[in-house]
Formats: sequence, structure tokens, C-alpha cells
Amino acid sequence: MVDEKKVKKESWTGEDVEVLGETYAEGKPDTPVLWRKKFKNREEMLKYLKSGERYWFSDDWYGSEKRKTPA
Amino acid sequence: MADNEKEKKAQKQEKPRFTTVDAAILDLCNNVEIPEITCWDRTKKQSPRCSFGEKGICCRICSMGPCRVDESREKLKYGVCGVDSNTVAARNFIRMIAGGAAAHSDHARAGAETFLAAAKGEAPGYAIKDEQKLLQLAMDFDVSVGDRSVQDIAIEVGEKGMGIFGEQFGPIPLTKRAPLKRQKLWAEQGMLPRGVDREIVEIMHRTHIGVDMDPVNLMQQGSRAAIADGWGGSMLATELQDIMFGTPVPILGRSNLGVLEKEQVNIVIHGHEPSLSEMIVAVVQDPEMIERAKQKGAQGINLAGICCTANEILMRHGVPLAGNFLQQEMAIITGAVDAMVVDVQCLMGSLPRVAECFHTKVITTNYRAKIPGATHIQFEEHDAVETAKKIVRAAIDNFPNRKEVYIPDVECDLIGGFSHETINYLLGGMFRASYKPLNDNIINGRILGVAGVVGCNNVKCEHDAGHIDLVKELIANNVLVLQTGCSAVACAKAGLMLPEAAAKYAGPGLAEVCETVGIPPVLHMGSCVDNSRILMAATAMVKQGGLGDDISGLPVAGAAPEWMSEKAISIGHYFVASGVYTVFGTTWPTTGASELTDLLFNGYEEITGGKWDFALESNVQAQKMIDHIKKKREALGIEKARKRILYDMAMRRELDAG
Ligand code: SF4
Repeated sequence: MVDEKKVKKESWTGEDVEVLGETYAEGKPDTPVLWRKKFKNREEMLKYLKSGERYWFSDDWYGSEKRKTPA
Repeated sequence: MADNEKEKKAQKQEKPRFTTVDAAILDLCNNVEIPEITCWDRTKKQSPRCSFGEKGICCRICSMGPCRVDESREKLKYGVCGVDSNTVAARNFIRMIAGGAAAHSDHARAGAETFLAAAKGEAPGYAIKDEQKLLQLAMDFDVSVGDRSVQDIAIEVGEKGMGIFGEQFGPIPLTKRAPLKRQKLWAEQGMLPRGVDREIVEIMHRTHIGVDMDPVNLMQQGSRAAIADGWGGSMLATELQDIMFGTPVPILGRSNLGVLEKEQVNIVIHGHEPSLSEMIVAVVQDPEMIERAKQKGAQGINLAGICCTANEILMRHGVPLAGNFLQQEMAIITGAVDAMVVDVQCLMGSLPRVAECFHTKVITTNYRAKIPGATHIQFEEHDAVETAKKIVRAAIDNFPNRKEVYIPDVECDLIGGFSHETINYLLGGMFRASYKPLNDNIINGRILGVAGVVGCNNVKCEHDAGHIDLVKELIANNVLVLQTGCSAVACAKAGLMLPEAAAKYAGPGLAEVCETVGIPPVLHMGSCVDNSRILMAATAMVKQGGLGDDISGLPVAGAAPEWMSEKAISIGHYFVASGVYTVFGTTWPTTGASELTDLLFNGYEEITGGKWDFALESNVQAQKMIDHIKKKREALGIEKARKRILYDMAMRRELDAG
């Protein structure tokens, strides 16, 4: 696990507090962020389509279109 | 001569030869004797322009003309055939849409041909790189997946893809990706596109002399063709390219003329279609080619790009961007470009003449885009590796012919590769990929809204200034900016596509979100066909929920501050037809037709929920976009949430004390 970064911020009441800072890796990517290579097989790819791309591929209509009939 | 006239004349004379804010061009013109061969020189020679042409009211559709139609002058009110300025300008306008839609769609068709050949194993060197995205498109096209082989699925997907061009009845399947309400609206307005080719042909028919003379009816067909471009041709090009070459993911790149290398063979790829350039990327790494370069006295081979071919290979390989549209001649003027390899679109006819003054070999590669004076090496997808090798060899062999070289020491890093899929992943992660964090931050007011700033360069305005000033103004007001095309290249060169730009230029809310997610405040989404990625991002925002049920309800706006091509008009119009408020700069092609302009700038909001607008100055464009975004926030009832959040510490203490 990477070390947690702490940053000093002012709280609602005006006191200085230490809170958890940003968690992303700093700097620029030397190599591309190859997240799409994480799918191991077709099953995982299709599963991701239904979750990650659920706006189009979930069995239920999503979000603002949940209760609507298809056009 | 009156004093103010003298002053005006003096001011005109003082205008610099190269109107640009690009530091590399300014450095180049200070250090190299540039003959009068550039587009800036030709612009001066072409001035003053015909005002009828500029206002969109010159008609040369038949040989009884050309007719100059002017609604403000009784004797010029009608053309010989009896039409008025609104008909003339509407016909001209939708012919621009036809030109733009044809360019994007023919690009897509060429991609589909290569895709199909690759799927059938007839195009060695090409493969299906992104199986997941293939499955995605298969589902859009109702192609069954099951446990069929990748090749089988790809062949059927390729055939269905080719089908969208010649389809007679439609609708184009990819229009089903749009929000449901939008699809319904298109159907009601008669704007659901049938096949891409059919819509373009119908524009050419309707705008022939003596056919459609009703501006509203003409614009309806223009809208249908534009939608066929955005949700058809352009979207298909993006999808097939992603499947063949990989869906873009965040990648580090470099930009501006400083990416050229003095000691290496420089090959600059320019145009729009990535099929050949993908192969060149592979071939320049071939040890045989590197050895050949060394034998000719170079230390290696350096590849860089211009215009959208550059964006394509940046997004997938991190190949540096040498510049945007107005830098194509300038790249040659460095004396360091051994070959400029062009495919299609946005190529200047002057390239071989400029090259003659230096040493560059200009190589055309597509039978659809030949330039007198250039060397033609036809790209054959069935023999792509050999074609690429032939081109790279020609570049290497030209290295010893170099004369004086001056490469401006100007370059800037950027992070590219923000496809819609990657944004979705970055916002939510592998197990909860989602646009929810974006919507939530819009609702809670950290992000005011989202803007797409896209399009070309235009030599009529100060190069790059329009893009950079507008984008800086937007991010300072907490508007997240999505970019493509030459506009993206301009902002990359200005350092706006780095995560640290958030702290430097963005408003506090946007900066906080960018820092948390680890993204720049300005996201490079690709080439001009990749504006379809912006349509997908907008649709995902709608479908996620919380921001209304249609794109027209979103707090978003679009702009092309330095537009110049017919493609830009087609893009702008498919955004308007998709419900987006869209502002163009530099010039507007219907100003001589008041009713048509009113229809586009006002009336269209009632038809599609989106509308056009025009402003010359960046700050006015930004204000108009921000006003529109605020109007949408108010309609959504989220403007109040923002006001609550912006209590400062003193106010909070007061509340606590109370
Ligand atoms: S179509 Fe009509 S307006 Fe156009 S050139 Fe012919 S006569 Fe003139």
C-alpha cells in the first residue's frame, strides 16, 4: 500500500487540521495507463459492458431513463 | 488625407506578417528568412474579400448566375431564378454540411474497408486490438456475440458498419445511443437519418436550382445529414479505429515544432486517416530502417504529426504533435522535415511549392487527395507494411539533401488519450466506472458545467489565440473543457493539458476535482471525427441522471472559435441538432440572410433545444457560454446548491455563532 499523503487544511470552525490528501499518482504517466488490458476474457469484457457502460448495455434503463419506455 | 484615415492606414501597416501567438512560429520568423510563400502572405494578397461571398449570399449554383442577392437593396433582392437571400444562404449552408459530412463519412468508409479487410485476414499488419470495444459495437449493431470467434464477429460488424452508408430506410443504428428523449425528438422532427450517403445526396438534390426553396425545410435536411455525420459516419470512424488501433488511454505526449530533431530523420504525418500512419509508427521502429537512417548520417528516425492524423497517433502511441493546421508550412520552413506524408483533408495546396524552397519531400498517399508537385505513393491496405516502408525509405534517403536547419526550441508536454471510456473509468474505477462523480460535482457546484471547444485554425484571426483565451476563461470559471482537433493542439501547446494547469488556471472548484481525480482541466479527446466521443460523454451525463433527461437540458456548451472548414459547420450543426448551444468565432456564413440567421440563432432552440451563436471576441464567446450554462443550471434547480456551497469561512463562523 502506498503511503497516505496528509495535507493541512482549515476546518469549518477555522482550526488547522490534517486531512487525507489526494490519492492519485503525481507527475506524468511515463507509460500509458493500460486499464483496458485488465480484462482477462470475454466474460469479463461483457460484464464490464453491463456495469461500466451500463448507460447503454445494462438490462435496465439507467439513471434519467429508468422509468421510460424506449423511444 | 484625414488624420484618422492616416492612423487607420498606419495601424494596418503595423499588423505583423504572421498573426499568431505560437511561440515557435514567432521564433522561426525571427530566425529564418521566410519567402512570401505562406498562407499569411496569400491571405494578404486575397484581401479585400467579396462581401457577398463572406455573407453567404453569392449563388453560383446555375449558369444564369453567379447572382449576388442582397435583401437590403431592392434591385438585388432576388437571384435570376427568383430566390431570395435566405434561400441562397440556406442552400450554401447545407451544402457546407454535406461537404463536411461527406469528408467525415468517407474517412469512416475507408476505415470500414480496412477494418473488413483486416477481419478477413486480407490486410497483413492490421488486427483487432480492442476486443471489448468490438463486442460493444457488435451489441449496437445487433450482432450476436456468444462464443463466436473475434474474426467472425468482426466480419459481421464490418459489414453492418459499411451498411450505414448505403442504407435507404434507416435509422442509422448508432443514433440509438442518444438519450431516448432525443431520439423521439429527431423522429418527430423528421431528422432521424436514414443512410449517410442518402442524406448527403438529398442535400445535393434539394439545393439544385429549382428544388427546395424553403429555408426551414432546407435546414431540416441539413440537420438530418449532420446527425448522420455525428451519430453515423464520425462515430463509426471513431469506433472502428478504436477496435483496430486501441481505445485511447492517458498517455504522455509533446507538442510544437520543437519536437523535431536536428540529428534525426524527421517524418511528419499530416491529414486525418490513421490507417497508414499506424503502420508508419510500426515501421520507423524497424531495425532495418534505423540502420538505413544511420547509414545516411542521421542518428535515428523521429516521427511527428500535424492536424488530426497527429491527434490519432498521439492518443494511441504518444507520437508528438508538431503543430496544427497553420503550422504545416512552418514545419517545412524549419528545413528539418525530410518527408511530409499526407493523407486526406486540411492539406494546403502550397506544400510542394514551400517544400521546393527547402528540401522536404511531400508525399501524397491517398488516391482521393493528390497535390500537383508532390510525389505520390499510393497506400494499399492489403500491402500496408510495404507502402509504409517505401515512404520511410524515401524520407531517409532525403536526409542528406538538407540545407539550413532551424528548429525553434519551443515545445510543451501534454497528457492525451481521454476517450469517453477512459473518462468513465477514471471517474469511477474498474468496478464502479461512472459519470456520477462528474454529475455530482456539477450538481454541488464545484464544476459549473462542461464545454466542448473544438475546430480548426483560420488565418483570418490570430492563430491559436481564440482557442487558448476562450479555454482559459472557461476553466477559470470552473467549466471543464473537452477538446478535439486543431483546437486541442493549440491548448496542448499552451500547457493547458497538464494536471498542473488545474492549479494554475482553473477556478477553485474545478481545480479541486481535477486534483482529486488526477486529470487536467482540459481533456484531449482526439481528432475531429472523435467529436463523437463528446456526444457519448454528454449522453452518459444524461443517462447517469440528476441533470435532466436530454442533452439540451445539460449545463453544457460548444464552440469552434477559429473554424474554417465545411467539416466544422457539419460538426457544429450536429451539436446544435443534438441539443447543444454552439458558438462560432472568426466569421459567420449567413450574415447576409436575416431570417435564416434568426432561425439558426434563435428559432432552432424551439426545434432541437440547441442553437447557433456567433461572437468575434473570446471573452464574449466565453460569457455567452457561461450564461447559457447558468441558464441550464437554473432550469435544473441546481444554481441554488452552488450558492449555498460558496459560503466563505467568515460567513460559516457567523452561522456557527448564530
Ligand atoms: S440558382 Fe438562382 S440565384 Fe443561384 S445562380 Fe442560378 S439563377 Fe442565380
